[in-house]
Amino acid sequence: MYTCANVSASGIFALRFSHCIDGMKEPKTAPEPRGLVVPRSNVLNDQRMSGDDVVITHEDIDRAHDRERVSATRARRGFRPRLRLFWLLIGPGILVMLGENDGPSMLSYAATGARFGIGFFVPFIVLTFAMACVVQEMTVRLGAATHRGHAELIFDRFGPFWGWFSMIDLMVGNFLTLVTEFIAIRAGLGFFGVRPAVAVCGALLVLSIALMTHRYWTWERIILGVAMFNLVFVPVALLTHPHWGAVGRALVTWRPLPGGLTQETVLILLADIGATVTPWMLFFQQSAIADKGLTTRDIRFGRVDTVLGAALATVAALATMLATAPLFMHHMSAANFEAAEFAQALQPFIGQWGAALFALGIFEAGMVAAVTISTSSAYAFGEVARRPHSLNLPFKQGRAFYLVLLLEAAAAAGLVLIPGIPLVYIVLLVNVIAVLAMPPALLFMYMLVNDREIMGVLVSPRWANVLALGVVTVLIGAGLLFGVSVIAPNALAFIGGR
Amino acid sequence: MEEQFDSAPDAEVSREEFTSVMTALEPDQIISTKEHHHCPRRQLTRTEMLLFWALRIYLVFMVGVVVYQIWTSVR
Repeated sequence: MYTCANVSASGIFALRFSHCIDGMKEPKTAPEPRGLVVPRSNVLNDQRMSGDDVVITHEDIDRAHDRERVSATRARRGFRPRLRLFWLLIGPGILVMLGENDGPSMLSYAATGARFGIGFFVPFIVLTFAMACVVQEMTVRLGAATHRGHAELIFDRFGPFWGWFSMIDLMVGNFLTLVTEFIAIRAGLGFFGVRPAVAVCGALLVLSIALMTHRYWTWERIILGVAMFNLVFVPVALLTHPHWGAVGRALVTWRPLPGGLTQETVLILLADIGATVTPWMLFFQQSAIADKGLTTRDIRFGRVDTVLGAALATVAALATMLATAPLFMHHMSAANFEAAEFAQALQPFIGQWGAALFALGIFEAGMVAAVTISTSSAYAFGEVARRPHSLNLPFKQGRAFYLVLLLEAAAAAGLVLIPGIPLVYIVLLVNVIAVLAMPPALLFMYMLVNDREIMGVLVSPRWANVLALGVVTVLIGAGLLFGVSVIAPNALAFIGGR
Repeated sequence: MEEQFDSAPDAEVSREEFTSVMTALEPDQIISTKEHHHCPRRQLTRTEMLLFWALRIYLVFMVGVVVYQIWTSVR
């Protein structure tokens, strides 16, 4: 059935395997049945019939160990095994949602609260996270059904042009975003008197240390632990003693946009949409799901993971907005505030500890996003350039993957140390660019998730397509509105009735 | 054969590890299978071709808008 100890020219020991996957006996230690809950029939799964040799890699072994734990837990009954299964399978969804609550996003929420209060934006932010859920659910299905990343599928299904375009588009957007993440890191730690060079280099060191585990599972748990600090904005919001009745009313009644539709309000609307739904999220979650080894049996948990992540991220986003709302109430201008300045301005309302927590939150937001965004770039590069791409790889085998990840982060970090960068403008622009780049990414996602050849029976149902098309329409509309706001600002006043 | 793979095979794969991989992973999760088999190129319909051209135009327009925005801000 298989032959062992084939020694290659390079002296590497490998196991060769032919025509045996289907014929192999189920070992005692293999609790997970080969049959899937959802019957799969697609071009990818049918490849096992081709009979090509299989070489086992380090990455396969690590992933198999993770899957064995999942299978063993799934085989047990009861509440605790169920809880453990949940613990084993969650990760990509929470990471992507809390990762998207990054430095610029938190700053956008802070700017929103400070400039416009909560009346319009509380329900608006809840809506944007609901949109994010719709989009990310598609990546869960795609990743679990195909075991491939988004960039790889675009490259294979739509050809090299769109494959390279998507990858370059993503990497440019990611690089700009990474710059703002390091600005957030610098500004957040700057509040504590940490010098910019020390803050930025320290963040790069943390990013590198997380990678040194060479294990997706360990990396994911470390970053998840750090990402939970995103909720540090909740105690900050509580320190401002928000009027909960007003928050509840805002959520239910959805008051009109303060000041009507102007260039400034359009920019802040786009920034808030860009703070919730961005292209890197699609690429990251799908690749992470493939790297984690989730299968179609895990889709339900993947969905719960995504919704839980969205709920946590919504709480953190709303808390940030509530935290800076006192600035709006006291008519303090926050037009040119940077992260540390928000913390300083809030100090009279929330005290030294509250301000410190706010600054710490901004640092954390930048840190987690720097890790996840640079990882999404590295995944996309590996998928399109056909290089090994997994956090399970030792450095030697995944050299290109790790180098792309580290070099992109290092280049962004280096740029941040250049003095005089206009933070707020860059932050808004990055989010706007993300909104503009989203429609193509969504279009590919929509076509792939409806591609019966690769999805089999997991193609999107009609209701999911209606929702997805609604989200695409909103995003394209937002992009066009931005275009109008730039080219003909007066037209916006006409549209807004002012 | 091994030289064809981008992901180098593990230096010391035991029989247990081999069994573990073959039973725990789905066939198309195994790296060497993935590297050998890619999804076939999709044949686009006329509507999809039209959509893709609309996408190109949208992108060119929007990139122009963003560049214009940056240019006016710099000035």
